[in-house]
Amino acid sequence: MGHCHKHVDQPKAEEILPKLEVPSVLSRVEELIRRYPVPRSALLQVLWLAQETLGWLPQEAIKWAAAKCSVSPVHAYGVSTFYTMYKKEPTGRFFLQICQNVSCHVLGAEDIIAHAERTLGISSHGGTTSDDLFTLLRVECLGACGNGPVMQVNDDFATDVVDGKLAMPAGVALTAERFDKIVAWCRDRAKSLSKEPKRDATGGIFESKGHPGAKGAVSQAQGFYAPVPPALGVAAVRTDDGKVKLTWRAAPETTTLHIEKKTGSDFAVAASISGKEKEWLDDAAEGTEYRIVTETAQGRGKASNVAKAPAAKGA
Amino acid sequence: MTTLTVTQNFGKGAKDIAVYRKLGGYSTIGQKLFDLSQFEMIDLVQRSGLRGRGGAGFPTGMKWSFVPRGGKPVYLVVNADEGEPGTFKDHVLMQEDPHRLIEGMILCGWALGVRTAYIYVRGEFLPAIETLNAAIKQAYEAGFLGENIQGSGYSLDIYVHRGAGAYICGEETALINSLEGFKGQPRLKPPFPAVSGAWASPTCVNNVETLMALPWIFENGAEAYAAMGTPKSTGTKVFSVSGDVKRPGVYEVPLGTPLMELLESDKYCQGVVGKLKGVIPGGSSSPVLTVEEAAKATMDYEALAALKTMLGSGAVVVFNETRSVVGMLASLTRFYAHESCGQCTPCREGTGYADRILKTVVAGKGRDGDLENMLSLADNFSYTTICPLASADAGPIQNFIGKYRAEFDAVVARNPEHADERVTPAFRPGAFW
Repeated sequence: MGHCHKHVDQPKAEEILPKLEVPSVLSRVEELIRRYPVPRSALLQVLWLAQETLGWLPQEAIKWAAAKCSVSPVHAYGVSTFYTMYKKEPTGRFFLQICQNVSCHVLGAEDIIAHAERTLGISSHGGTTSDDLFTLLRVECLGACGNGPVMQVNDDFATDVVDGKLAMPAGVALTAERFDKIVAWCRDRAKSLSKEPKRDATGGIFESKGHPGAKGAVSQAQGFYAPVPPALGVAAVRTDDGKVKLTWRAAPETTTLHIEKKTGSDFAVAASISGKEKEWLDDAAEGTEYRIVTETAQGRGKASNVAKAPAAKGA
Repeated sequence: MTTLTVTQNFGKGAKDIAVYRKLGGYSTIGQKLFDLSQFEMIDLVQRSGLRGRGGAGFPTGMKWSFVPRGGKPVYLVVNADEGEPGTFKDHVLMQEDPHRLIEGMILCGWALGVRTAYIYVRGEFLPAIETLNAAIKQAYEAGFLGENIQGSGYSLDIYVHRGAGAYICGEETALINSLEGFKGQPRLKPPFPAVSGAWASPTCVNNVETLMALPWIFENGAEAYAAMGTPKSTGTKVFSVSGDVKRPGVYEVPLGTPLMELLESDKYCQGVVGKLKGVIPGGSSSPVLTVEEAAKATMDYEALAALKTMLGSGAVVVFNETRSVVGMLASLTRFYAHESCGQCTPCREGTGYADRILKTVVAGKGRDGDLENMLSLADNFSYTTICPLASADAGPIQNFIGKYRAEFDAVVARNPEHADERVTPAFRPGAFW
């Protein structure tokens, strides 16, 4: 439904704005916008909101969403046509989407689609029944291949009716009989319920503090929280010319490396070198113990593991 | 008994935070984590050998190590835009155990210094989005999200971003564009998202399953995780099996498990329905395996690469002798033609051409040379575009035709005029409009 090639009567701004410019919608728009560093990023969600409120996306609603997200109408229109789930035309009360992709295809999706077309008497390329109850659309992978062939009725996956509700029990695939059962369930529902209850298109928004620094956000930016990174994997090897070579891995933010050498019972700083260094050489006897203490802008880290100088080569 | 690292809470009602905590959930968010520096956390994941579970299999720890610290804000974006035909593991994972994802995000956030994280969920998964939002709300109330998590000084906010139906948004740079409020068209790399991603800030894009493996790794140690699977493909992987098997579904097995064990074992799929004809081992983009190849395939990154296919997202599509591979390929090619974002000419035009040729063949109007034409097209549009979508279409075209050539030839031969040259109507300006 993302692309609409046929002519659709577009409602005027004054017909739809009274539905959109209400406190319940506007407060949600504000909430959505403060989740992102820039208002533009909320565009997809605000379009969802408009579609939820109106049932589909008339051009004036796209303009409204564009204004809310501080983007040009043409940007918002481009975005709305790129994504297939934004409806550019009204659909029936029950929007049936049947998957035609490979897993469902293997298991007979084409037969189900043909059955659906026959039963409802409409095309599977977006046809709507004359009573405006059903719209049928063949779609690509719905991400429920374990139940293939699979169908969505509005926003719910449905391959069966269980206990008077649409359901997709594990491993239960859509068949012609189950399709008829679902259609019968929809017709029953249409008789007992005058219209489908509204459902939050963004999944149940809760009050959030927003992205630090965004318009209307009250959250604080992140301070330093983690301990100073120590040097890891300190190792000592003997080079060919008899020196002790220390190697280690240090975090990129390390400014200084304090190399400590054990003299007597205590470690004492033998050298302080730049955090960018990768190795350090020393003259020392076998068994000399080394460890490294790192320093960053936040302070000193904990001491590393202790490495012992090995025996001289050939000794 | 297989050790489960991701799916251990399935069927236990772990959607509710009380149940999840009773099962040991959120135990990693404590002093042990708060005493750990970011550098050590990244090192832990590097040592575990965990690789991205979304498809590419890039080492997660290495990806994290590219993210600069101490500059611009760092974002974590969870890729839950599961659209690869045959894949449905993330859908089930989010529905069954949303808190494990949140816990994994906190661990990742700690390692990278993330203040704000987004979960990009494909638009069709509204029930999963509702589950996630309910779980996030519970996590805020329990003090695992928000400011100063459990008194550690670390703050993290998580928002769910609903996509609106575009397969290409599963590609990380397209996903970032979509998150930023643009059309979901992939960006040129470099710069890689780890350096300059969402809002030109360092951005870590990880798959749902990757992040959900983190709590187990943190609790049991990197070495315990690395001990599972094969030396280069460590740990366990969740496979989504669909098609002609007795019990399709989502199964977690150690990497390196033989494909046939996954299909035949009573614990998993319980056997193939009918006589096996072939298996797509890693989602629609991965080249198909014939019966002989499937018999010797083991499910890990290296073994499947040696068979010239890939593990991808772990979506196993099984089909038996009664299924037409021509129809399957037509279904796949139509999908790629439909999902091409339109940015690069070889993909936009090429996948469309391939789709139209296959449609003619399926309709019984194929001509000799059509298949060569398809192969030549596939050769031309693979690896000539910004993102791998066109190559993902080329793979199946080359492999389906290459491995099941006789069947394709038979379908072409159904056309009584298949040997005649196709007459192209003369070009008339305006004829197409």
